This record gives sequence, structure tokens and C-alpha cells, in this order.
Amino acid sequence: MAEKQELRDVEVWDGNMAASQAMRQVQIDVVAAYPITPSTPIVENYGNFLANGYVDGEFVMVESEHGAMSGCIGASAAGGRVATATSSQGFALMVETLYQASGMRLPIVLNVVNRALAAPLNVNGDHSDMYLGRDSGWIQFDAYNPQDAYDLNFIAFRVAEDHEIRLPAMVHQDGFLTSHTAQGVHTIDDDTAYNFVGDFKPMNDMLDLDHPVTHGVQTEEDWHYEHKARQHNDLMTKVFPRIEAAFDAFEKLTGRRYNIVEQYNTEDADAVVVCMGTSVETAVEVSNELCAEGKKVGVIGIRVVRPWPHAQLVEALKGVTAIGALDRSSPNGTFGMLYNELAGTVVNGEEKKVVTNYVYGLGGRDLTKVHLREIFAELLANAEAGKPTTPLQQLIGVRGPKISFH
Amino acid sequence: MENNGWNEFEIGAMLRSFDGAVSDVATTLQEDRPYSRSNSFTASVADWRIEKPVFNKDYCIDCQFCWIYCPDISIISRDKKMVGVDYDHCKGCAICVEVCPTNPKSLLMFAEQEDEDKVLAEWPTKEKKEK
Amino acid sequence: MSEIKKIKNLKEFSTSADRFEGANLLCPGCAHSIIVREVLNATNDDLILAASTGCLEVCTAVYPYTSWDASWIHIGFENGSTAVAGAEAMYKALKNKGRLKQPDREPKFVAFGGDGASYDIGFQWISGCFERGHNMMYVVLDNEVYANTGGQRSSSTPIGASTTTAPAGRVSYGEKMHKKNMMQIMAAHGSPYVAQVAPNKWKDMIKKIQHGFSVEGPVFINAMSACTTEWKFLPEDTIAVSDLATDSLVFPLYEIIDGTKLNITYRPKNVIPVKDYLGAQGRFKHLFKPENKHVLDEWQARVDRDWEYLQRREEASV
Repeated sequence: MAEKQELRDVEVWDGNMAASQAMRQVQIDVVAAYPITPSTPIVENYGNFLANGYVDGEFVMVESEHGAMSGCIGASAAGGRVATATSSQGFALMVETLYQASGMRLPIVLNVVNRALAAPLNVNGDHSDMYLGRDSGWIQFDAYNPQDAYDLNFIAFRVAEDHEIRLPAMVHQDGFLTSHTAQGVHTIDDDTAYNFVGDFKPMNDMLDLDHPVTHGVQTEEDWHYEHKARQHNDLMTKVFPRIEAAFDAFEKLTGRRYNIVEQYNTEDADAVVVCMGTSVETAVEVSNELCAEGKKVGVIGIRVVRPWPHAQLVEALKGVTAIGALDRSSPNGTFGMLYNELAGTVVNGEEKKVVTNYVYGLGGRDLTKVHLREIFAELLANAEAGKPTTPLQQLIGVRGPKISFH
Repeated sequence: MENNGWNEFEIGAMLRSFDGAVSDVATTLQEDRPYSRSNSFTASVADWRIEKPVFNKDYCIDCQFCWIYCPDISIISRDKKMVGVDYDHCKGCAICVEVCPTNPKSLLMFAEQEDEDKVLAEWPTKEKKEK
Repeated sequence: MSEIKKIKNLKEFSTSADRFEGANLLCPGCAHSIIVREVLNATNDDLILAASTGCLEVCTAVYPYTSWDASWIHIGFENGSTAVAGAEAMYKALKNKGRLKQPDREPKFVAFGGDGASYDIGFQWISGCFERGHNMMYVVLDNEVYANTGGQRSSSTPIGASTTTAPAGRVSYGEKMHKKNMMQIMAAHGSPYVAQVAPNKWKDMIKKIQHGFSVEGPVFINAMSACTTEWKFLPEDTIAVSDLATDSLVFPLYEIIDGTKLNITYRPKNVIPVKDYLGAQGRFKHLFKPENKHVLDEWQARVDRDWEYLQRREEASV
């Protein structure tokens, strides 16, 4: 039996510690992991918990991230609670197995501490790895700070392991900006945290020796499409109601409210930026300042990246004319993911919207308040004009001649 | 199994070996197992065969070479005795015939459409050893 | 530790209830399923199985059919070892936490992979599993070629074999590299038990599998799997070709205990020439052209040398 930890009501934790504490509290059965910057401390912290008797599950230190997710898949199919953590290149190495985990409907939780993808090599935070996973069939939650990273882990386990869902879930946080930045985190005591997620309920478990099951079959053209359609359907229709219910229950328990789409100053906004991760807090600060100056600008933070919150965004963007999609990943030959998704979300609405794309912060480059003031000014001009007054895509905060397209 | 629609099967493309519980499969013979429809035991590869092995129990010494070397679990042995060939699962590889040590052989290959009684009646007699 | 199944002779063995089913899609005459049957029938314990992508995997779990009567998982080409290691870790965790559904039963964990999945693409995963000491058995179905994808070379392909990616032609005698020595590599991991087996020598094989199941830690089994399709011989000759392999000492049967102690477990009464083994297979037929005689000579010399080495290792008992 694992020993419990007495936590203060507010602990000073960075995002990595917040995630590892949540992993300890839900009493995972198997963690198979491989360390990589900047998520390494999650794995180290977990090892430390194990070494001191706070964890009684198995901790398998594998030889690669591909091995980590492979071990997680085997363990999850065997029938128990499973989680791991990774970043960047490690995430990229895992990609093959991410699709296998979701296709086999295994409720693994993966903490992704976002980091750029090489080349050139970079250890700092951007959302390239998050974007790489976006078609992998996982649920993707996005944390903006260590508190979110802590709380969203509980939500992720609860939703993923629900027998109606049975889909793996990622909890994203920004490399270094969240993962290595210590902040006050409101804690939940061990028993309450565990009970929020509940006991793991096995389903189609290989270790039920009386009921042998075959996992990971081959399906060709006569069956493959139906299975993929089923998985897509479940992501599209079943996940959001469960997330909503989990957010409601979590608010009741802690007083902390999460929403699939987070809205700040959007009620009568003419222009909004849509962004993720730590940029949300910076954008909100600027929005608050601009609102105080009488400018109608708001911020939308994407809390759930997959499934894509189409309906929630349609609702949130009602009355908004200009939308700035802020993508922290190199689109490499097209618009950013958020731009494309948002454009697709609003294109069939009755209101005419002006959507523009800002690429920023690659490889950990800062997004400053000055940048955001400039973005908001441009968006307000778009709203005023009812059409783009800038190029559709601009790369901001990069040295050299201004770089923009279309 | 019929070709179900996308909403009509268990998630994760998972397959069950049996309907219900089997607590000791390693000592439960095939005829006593509650195979599920998704167990390949319920399927047939008989149409793979051009030739079929026919078993003549008159010459069989129950050595079980055919049983152990059959790749397709198609030699039916019960109580240490060779009982016959499972024609649903036999692919006609003829390993059983090759490894049969009796003279004449207790298993021989015949065209798929040959009548079993007829070939048994015309079974070859003991061959003289060459050399 | 569960009881070891008593298998005095083939008659007694034939009372086994197979946990591998027919109407799988393996080629007629495929040695893979003979090996799988011998491994599975060597124990009455519960089994948790995994397979890496390859012939066995694509032929035994094609929706909507499974040929497995024990829980089985496939993830990808490279990670059958880690799949079963993950399941084994979960077994330990649930045992420790008192959450096993059948706590009095102790399943065996077995992963199967072809030589492509084992010698090549999945090598790192196997190495990791063996270094970490999972309680599992890894069985290579070694047919010395990427048979599932139509006969490309692997690092297990022996010199002189013609494969689709190293074919014999006007100026080439086919594969130029020697077969990778996985037995020594896995022994060097300090595995408690490493053994080479062949399905035609069923008694030797059962003994080794049962020994493998009786030890704690990761066990490596390299099983020769004569491939009618890619070695190019008639399906009915699978056992005959396997006999040629073991009796020519091309596939010597031996075991290595605790990474060091080597025992030869089969000594043919009459050792046959290597060319008899090579000549029985289409993949080597070009070696019998006069210009390739040096390859045949080299083959025999190397098999002799390797046999000599095994005997010395056994004698030295180190």
C-alpha cells in the first residue's frame, strides 16, 4: 500500500511537479517512461515517489519513447491504470504507437510538455509536438499554467477511462514556461483526488484469464473504415459531454472552473485572439488593459484541442468580427493549424468574420505584450474594415525583413 | 460473420476467443470449448486444398508424428490415438503423409474430389524397401 | 511456481489441447505454426501472448477472426517484446495491489517475432526488455527472410541466399553478409536461458521451452522456421528440410545458461554435408553453378568452424 503525502493547501510547484503529483495521487498501476527535456522531471519525480514508498505501481524505465508507449499499450491492454510523459523528439518517436493506443481504445494518459521539433535542435517550448499528435485519435487537453496541468490530469484520467469513452488523453503544458516555472498550486488531498478519478475499471483486459481477448488485429478494406469511423464518431459525439460532466464535478469539488473553450472579455468583443498554452495568460493581461482603455478585444483559449470544439467556438465567436489565430508551430507550407480550424469553424456561419493568422514563439521565442498590442490593433482595424487589412499570415517576433504571406 | 456497420461491433477491433468464461482452456478439448464466432476454429480453409490426406486406420501405429508436425491443428488425436483429419482446417500441405512412418503409409494424399471409401478399398500394399 | 507439464513421449504429448487454432492464414506447410503449437503445448499454465508484425501476426488475427485461445496483443513491427513486457509489468502491479481477477493463477508471458522483427527492427526493444529482466519468453520464428512482405533480406539471411533485395544475378551470388549471431548477443545480456530450437526435434524443443518457463527472467528462444515459400521447397518437405538443417549442423541445437554455460543438446549420428541442406532449397540453387563453388566451400568451412567453437565452449564450460 502506497503511503500518503500530506500536502499544503497551496504548494509551490512547477508544471512538471504538478503533473507528477497528480500521477502519484491517482495511483497509476504502470508507468513506462523515458526521460526527455523538458518533461524529464515528471519521470524523475515519479521515480522519487516510488523510491520513497508513495507509489506502489510498476515503474518501467524503458530504452526509448517508442518503447515507453509500447509498454504502456501492453500494460493498458492487460488491464490497469497507465500513464507516461514525454516531449518533442520523444513524442515524435512515439507517434506510431499513439495511433495504435487510440485505435485499440486504451485509456492511457500522456503528459506532453511541449517543445519544438528539430532540425535545428531546440529544447524550448512551442507547440510543434502537440500539432504532430492532432490526428492521432487522442483527446488533447491544454494547460496554461501549473495549476491547470495538475487539475487537467484528473480530468484526463476520469474521461479517458470512462467505459463509454475508452480513448487515450494527452495533457499538454508549455515547455519551461509552465514545466519549469514554479507557481502556487491549489492542491487536492490524496483521498479526494483519487476518489475523483475512482478505481480503475478494467475492460477487455488481457489478464482476465477466463476471457481471452485478441488486441491489435489486422483489418483491411472490408473492416478498417468501419473501425476508424467508430473511433471518429466516439470522439465527435461522446467525449465532450463527458468532459463537461467532469468539469462540472471538478468545479463542485474544488471551486475551479474549466471550460472546453475558455473565454475572456469576449461578451461584446469586436476582435479576439485565439491561442493556447501560456500565451493565453499574456493575451488576457493585454486584453484587460485594452478593455480598460475602452477597446473591445477578447481572448479565447482552446482548452480541448481534440476533439476540436467546433460548436463551442461557433457560440463563443458570435458577434466577433475579427479573429487572430495564434499558432506556435511552424506551418511549413500552409496556414497554421488554428487558422485552418477556425476558418473551417466560422466559414458556414451567417456572420462575416475576418480571420488572420499569426505565427509566433517558435523554439521558445517570447511572445511579448507589445506583440499582442500590435496584433489587437491590427485585428481591430480588420473588424472596422470588415476585411483583412494585413497579410493573412504573418510571422511575428522574428529577426530580418517582415515575413508574411497572402 | 456478417459485415456489420460501424456502430455494430465492440470498440478497439477487439476479438474474443470464447463466448463466456473458460477457466481451464489448456485442459479443455476443442469439442468442449464455447468458441466465439470470431474464433478461426469456426472458419474453414477447406477450399485451399487441391489434394486431401486420407487416413487409413488399419496401418496406423499411433506414433503421433502427424499430430505434432501438422501446422494446422488438423490431425485429431484423442486418448493417444489418431482419430482422423479435420477437413475444415487442413490446407493439404501433406506434411502428415511425409512424416508417416508406416509401410504402407497410414495417410496418403488424394485429389479433393476422390471418394474416401473408394481410395481406402484401393489402398496400396506394403512396399518393398529399396536398396 | 506452477507444475511443469509431464510429457514423457509423443503419445502423452498428443493429449494436449491446442490453444492455437486452424483456419489461420499461414501458408500450407508453414513451420511457424508447428513451432507455436510446440511452445504453447509445452505448458498447461495460462498464457499472455504478443506478436510483432510478421507472418504469424498477419495470419492469425485478421478481423473478424482470431486463432488464439489465450489473450494476445499485437502493436507494431518492432515492439512485441515490449508489449508483453508491459503486460507483465501490469501483472506484477495488480498482483502487488491484490487486484488480479484470478490471483491463484500465474500466467506465462510469451512474445513471438520473426527474424525481421527480432534481429533487425525490434532489436532495441528486445535488448531493453532483457536488460530490465522482465519475466518473459521471447521466441524468434527465424526463417531468415522478410517472408511476410515477399522475401527481402534480413540480418538473419545467410550468405549466398537469393532474396528480392539481395538477389542472385549475373554478377552476384545473392546475400553477401553472414547471418547475425543473435544467440551470442542475447547470451551477452546475461539472460538466464538462451536456446536454439528446431520444430523437427520436438523433444529437445519441449525440454528447452519447459526449462525456459521454469526460470525467472527473460528467456530467448531462436526457433528455426523452415519457410516453404521463401526457401523454395515443397510444403510437404518442411520437416525433411528442417532435418537437413539440424543434421548438417547449419542449425546446431544448443543452449546457453546464465549467459555463459553452453550445452550442445543434439549431436547428429551422421552429420550430412552442408550442400545437401543448401541443395534442397531453391534460394541456394545458383550456388551450385561452377563460378559459385567458393561460396559452397566457404559455407561448409564456416559450419565446421562454428561447430568446433560450440564444442570448445561446451568443453570449457564457461
